[in-house]
Amino acid sequence: MDERDLISRAQAGDATAFGELLDSYYDTIFRFAWRWSRHRANAEDIAQLACLKLAGSIAQYRFQAAFATWLYRLVISCAQDWKRSQQRHDHDELHEGASLTDGSQSEDQIYLAQVLLELEELGEGMKETALLVHAEGLSHAEAGTVLGVSESTISWRIHTIRRHMGKREARIGESA
Amino acid sequence: MKPRSFEEMLKQDAAPPADPAARRAARQAALAEFTRSNAQAANEALPPRRSAIQALLGMLRLSRESNSRGSDFMPWYSRRMLLGGAASVCLAVVGGMLVWKTQQLQPEVARLEPAALPVAPPVPEQRADVPANEPMAQAGVQANEQAAADAKLKDAEAQELAKRRQAEGESRIEQKPLTTGIAQPMAGAAPPAPAAASAAPAPNEQDELTVSGYRGSLQASVEARKENTPVTTITSEEIGKFPDKNVAESLQRVPGVAAQSAAGNGSFRFKGDAKDQYQEVGRDRFEHFELNSIKQPAIESERVSTFSADVDTSSYSFVRKQLDQGVLPQKDAVRAEEMINYFDYSWPAAESREQPFRSTVVVSDSPWGKGRKLIHIGIKGYELPERQRPNANLVLLLDVSGSMDEPDKLPLVKQSMKLLLGSLKPTDTVAIVVYAGAAGMVLPPTPVGEKEKIIEALDRLEPGGSTAGAEGIELAYQLAEKSFKKEGVNRILLCTDGDFNVGIDSTNELKGYVERKRAKGIFLSVLGFGQGNYRDELAQALAQNGNGVAAYIDTLNEARKVLVQEAGSSLFTIAKDVKLQVEFNPATVAEYRLVGYETRALKREDFNNDAVDAGDVGSGHAVTAIYEITPVGSASRMVDASRYVKPESAASTSGGTSNEYGFLKIRYKLPTQSKSQLIETPINVDSGKVGEGIKRDVEFSTAVAGFAQLLRGGQFTGSLTYEDVAKQAQAALGDDPFGYRSEFVQLARKAQSAR
Repeated sequence: MDERDLISRAQAGDATAFGELLDSYYDTIFRFAWRWSRHRANAEDIAQLACLKLAGSIAQYRFQAAFATWLYRLVISCAQDWKRSQQRHDHDELHEGASLTDGSQSEDQIYLAQVLLELEELGEGMKETALLVHAEGLSHAEAGTVLGVSESTISWRIHTIRRHMGKREARIGESA
Repeated sequence: MKPRSFEEMLKQDAAPPADPAARRAARQAALAEFTRSNAQAANEALPPRRSAIQALLGMLRLSRESNSRGSDFMPWYSRRMLLGGAASVCLAVVGGMLVWKTQQLQPEVARLEPAALPVAPPVPEQRADVPANEPMAQAGVQANEQAAADAKLKDAEAQELAKRRQAEGESRIEQKPLTTGIAQPMAGAAPPAPAAASAAPAPNEQDELTVSGYRGSLQASVEARKENTPVTTITSEEIGKFPDKNVAESLQRVPGVAAQSAAGNGSFRFKGDAKDQYQEVGRDRFEHFELNSIKQPAIESERVSTFSADVDTSSYSFVRKQLDQGVLPQKDAVRAEEMINYFDYSWPAAESREQPFRSTVVVSDSPWGKGRKLIHIGIKGYELPERQRPNANLVLLLDVSGSMDEPDKLPLVKQSMKLLLGSLKPTDTVAIVVYAGAAGMVLPPTPVGEKEKIIEALDRLEPGGSTAGAEGIELAYQLAEKSFKKEGVNRILLCTDGDFNVGIDSTNELKGYVERKRAKGIFLSVLGFGQGNYRDELAQALAQNGNGVAAYIDTLNEARKVLVQEAGSSLFTIAKDVKLQVEFNPATVAEYRLVGYETRALKREDFNNDAVDAGDVGSGHAVTAIYEITPVGSASRMVDASRYVKPESAASTSGGTSNEYGFLKIRYKLPTQSKSQLIETPINVDSGKVGEGIKRDVEFSTAVAGFAQLLRGGQFTGSLTYEDVAKQAQAALGDDPFGYRSEFVQLARKAQSAR
């Protein structure tokens, strides 16, 4: 396949091939980074980090999983690195209610940002699971490969998330 | 109106289109990075960047494994935090009491903040306007992790690291919150507390280390060097120019500094002095064994002593590491035979590959038991000449789990493996498999001729994740089978700190697996690294079942010994299942005791049974065993003779050999054969007449044996002291080209003061 050929060439050190690969995957990377961070500038940062990392580690791709799957994994790891570094740098500013969003966002987006934040606190990998399965449309097995856990773990997480959302709706219903 | 479900919303959640400018920048940066990493030209231009900060961040992150996740950080983090917390509480209580005592003289100050005093930190943070009578305390706080890892780096003149013993014991996390609130009143109200003062000795120019910012870093670096003072500078500009990937690695090269990149995420810990480092203790596991007891040849069932050869040396390195830290090793870590065999003795070597052994027997007086004698049995294996060495097919199975993130673990593994490459032939192949959260092949079998590839692969490794040892072993065996060399040596080199906590983790199951693979001709050797969680018993079991050696590598020097000097012995087996059996002559020997080999004892009937596995001997390996005997008629018998059973008279023993202490038999198999061969040598009463070289070696190995027994509690060594051992070893140093023997003398001295 064309993509496979492209990757092999990039692994061999062909810069043009790597450039093409970047062109075709930057959107995917950015989209996921945006969904993960809900913030344009942050997403751009993460996407750049991911591209840099891709440059260094494309040689490690073994064609065992689909390239996109492997890429998701890389982006997630970059995003988590990025977040950790943010926490370190903005140690003092965190409590000033660092803006989670761009500001110019629809109600839906604000709602999603809130929910994702809750999921993040719900447990490790919850947010990523939700994003991969619901937003990116991966199967449970694929998401499992990306996150390095078993398929059943993903199914369990999805179930937990659904239950959490149920409780949330109920709570909001009560207060309303 | 019913709100749409969360799932639906996520599905329709459209990301805004990517900004073309950002896209271009990312593309450019990545391409530049791509060229850089491909060209391996460290001095090439840095990737174009949106800002210096981001580029630096990017560089720091590159080394991160793509599959490591956030959780990797936590176990490491919480472990140290707990202990660090405990340590800081202790320190704080001591400090607090001292402060309290001083302040009893000033009651109004004491009442001011009574609750805060017990948690007063040893290193109070001071503002810049405080007179600079404690510059180090200030530096200590500045150079903590957050400051150092701050990518802005611009003001982080981390003048660091003189002797921050106390400060380091402090948890890095708690340092800040504790200091800010409480230190102010203290600093203002009272003269510096004694504890604080002692934590901040006068600055020492030689120990000063400056980390300067990115901007103008070149200039700063040049200027600092111009001044010709003993200042080591590392500027961020230089990071890409060394083979290091980040600042932490660069700092590691500065003498006296131990800096580590924590879980590869670009945060660093600085250590003022390697000795200050936190050491995990108490979880090393060793197989328990009892010392060999005194046996009497007069009793039929005790007449014969049988054991398997053991060429491992891991016990000695482990003991050395512990003693270097001023701690006596746990008794089960001391295996006398491994300590004795650590050293090279000049027993005459065998001449051909077909008869790969020659045994030497020397009788000498026992230095710790008057009237008793020591019998040395030295076996030296045939040394394969370089050109005769078969091709090797090596699979390096490396543990890269989070627990390997210590300076004496993964970095040492990498360096050791690079050393190993130097002692291989260009036609040998090396493959690398790592195991952590997931096992993976890092390098397919690659000829050593393409050394750069292998080194590059090694350099990419970063610790992270939990340990799935078994999975890694399976993958390694698969690779070894794939590139199996029929005529050559097929061996897996497992480098680990001892954890196999995922997958097949029962020792027996693993042993069985290794044993089955051994039958296919793939052997396994284990190199142990690090301490605190070292599972010696597992390493030993695997290596024994895999026909390999188990070595413990604590320093680069040790790596050189095992992997370069003794590469032949570690990699090329010349004989397998080597068993020794000594029958003592009741007419001449009243009592005997084998020093060491407790874990290698065999049953008498196992000796002739070729199905029973035993130790293997590599090219040029020497095996030394020492018996302590009490000749008949000596007054120093430990066990009284039986009142009822008369010892058999000399005449009744066959051959009537009253000039023999016993009879030595050695069984071995050539590596390709399954039938054993036999070598026999009598142990003559007068085997004491040997050359000067051998005599000296006997003296030395006697000293080592004495040392090992002292470490085990000195049950049989009478009034022998560490001082005696040191003296005896000192007198028998010989040439000692690599200083191993002098090191032993030092070790014996250290044991005197160790607790």
